[in-house]
Amino acid sequence: MPQNIERIGELLDSLLPVLVERLHETGLGEIEVERDGTTVRVRAEDLGAPVAPIPAPTAARGGTSSATATAPSAADERRHPVHSTAVGFVKLAPDIHVGGKVAKGSLVATVDVLGVAVEVRADHAGIVAKLRCATGDPVEYGQELFLLESVGEGKL
Amino acid sequence: MIKRVLIANRGEIALRILRACRQLGIEAVVAFSEADRESRAVLVADEAICIGPADAKRSYLSAPAVISAALATGCDAIHPGYGFLSENAAFAEAAAAHGLTFIGPSAEVLERFESKAGVRALLAKHGLPTIPGSDGVVADEAAAAKAAAKIGYPVILKASAGGGGRGMRVIQSADDLAHLFSLCTQEAQAAFGDGSLYLEKYLIDTHHVEVQIAVDKAGTALHFGERDCSVQRRHQKLVEESPSTALTPKVREEFLARAAKAIGAAGYRNLGTLEFLVGADGKPYFIEINCRIQVEHPVTEAVTGVDLVALQIRLAAGDLMPFTQEQIERRGHAIEFRLTAEDPAQEFRPQAGEITTFRSPSGPWVRFDSHLYAGYEVPPYYDSLLAKLIVWGNTREEAIARSRAALREVEIGGVATTRDFFLGLLETPSFLNGTATTGMLDAIGTADILAAAPKARA
Repeated sequence: MPQNIERIGELLDSLLPVLVERLHETGLGEIEVERDGTTVRVRAEDLGAPVAPIPAPTAARGGTSSATATAPSAADERRHPVHSTAVGFVKLAPDIHVGGKVAKGSLVATVDVLGVAVEVRADHAGIVAKLRCATGDPVEYGQELFLLESVGEGKL
Repeated sequence: MIKRVLIANRGEIALRILRACRQLGIEAVVAFSEADRESRAVLVADEAICIGPADAKRSYLSAPAVISAALATGCDAIHPGYGFLSENAAFAEAAAAHGLTFIGPSAEVLERFESKAGVRALLAKHGLPTIPGSDGVVADEAAAAKAAAKIGYPVILKASAGGGGRGMRVIQSADDLAHLFSLCTQEAQAAFGDGSLYLEKYLIDTHHVEVQIAVDKAGTALHFGERDCSVQRRHQKLVEESPSTALTPKVREEFLARAAKAIGAAGYRNLGTLEFLVGADGKPYFIEINCRIQVEHPVTEAVTGVDLVALQIRLAAGDLMPFTQEQIERRGHAIEFRLTAEDPAQEFRPQAGEITTFRSPSGPWVRFDSHLYAGYEVPPYYDSLLAKLIVWGNTREEAIARSRAALREVEIGGVATTRDFFLGLLETPSFLNGTATTGMLDAIGTADILAAAPKARA
């Protein structure tokens, strides 16, 4: 059994990003692939809009988007909101604009806290899909700064 | 002029400050940690800003985070509440350097009143009697032993940078001192970042009596009567009342006037509290000062009719005292009960979790300051205060009778609270006759007090 689970895990790791990208490109509602006797089916419900509208929080009201209790869909797994690590004034890195490429671990923004630049780094590689703030904006701790969308690595 | 205040605190006091701001027509922004996103102050506020994670060191205790939040939200002042950064001179200085009004004493004043050992000497110079003790900070164990031998055991070893009832240890003998001196130094260093210690004669069975004072920028110093906070457990206050049963009318008026005069002359500004112990001789001896609004301030508000938080904000804004000493009338008797998320049946063990039911008491002369609501999750990270019940009566007896009625109306489900302990206390003779001292809970066990509580309807 454990071996089986491990194999499925490997399969998912290698297949899922590609499947999700295919789904996205083709606009199909569902894709199914069979490999070594295991079937992987990926279904997307909201692929018409690559980025689901998430209510943008404002520093003023203090509500970052609350996580909804629904199970993450494949599309959700590709979305990586990048959050502020401090309270202060944000400065986005030069390549942070819609369509800009971000490498995992790269410096994507700084938050000015009384003259000290607190770093914000990307936990994932991806493309900037949606900006939630602009350089110079006041931001609160944990506020979403922008949305990254990861792209599949490698082809089948 | 203050237009917009950042409230850098949580719980009931954040709500209290918010109310004062609204009453004064001042905008307010509530600063909160991630653990307090659903707190009532945040929900009620027009604006709120998350300043950091649950860990207070990175949120409520982080001076850069708090000041940065004030700047990010366009505030011109910060109210620090009590605890956290409220008496931190470096914080007050940093706030001022960023053009923000610190609602409290200035950094210079806080610095002057920061060392407990130093304040003792300063106020003694201005005519306040102090408890016999060491001459300032004791340099080492040998100096402590020498001072203690002179004063006579038992003594109490105190952290000069301590406060809030923490950083104190009773020393019964020279042997104890040898064992505990370095431990106390380490504890003080760890808790307050300063290992300096001083010592005082330890008085057993005293009344803890404190004077609410306020001083404007011109140096006009007024008092608002005293509060008796003798019902304590491990130096944590449980019940406060005004006036104190330990002072005769003659001692009281002379003492209050002298306290106000001394604190003004010593250069203190804004709101503050002078704490005293009243010994067997019926006379108050100064022990320490609190340079902030206190948890128990509503007791004074109930007997004087003065909104102390509003006064504090006005004084910080540079207003002169809006009334004279003669205009501050003290009427009747008020008692406050601190309802905490602690289980009195289990050594007051702190509780956390969801509040399943919440019903607040009401009725004439009943005030209930609380940040709770049904469904609220009490976070495990901060102090355990859930609510303050403040009851006023024409006499102490009337206030006690009303307190019984009000406490019975309190319903807080989901966590154990101190409610039944207070119901028991209100049946305990030494409390009822006003002779309860700081040693009361050592003399009468918690179990006996709980057993005295009238049984609730099954």
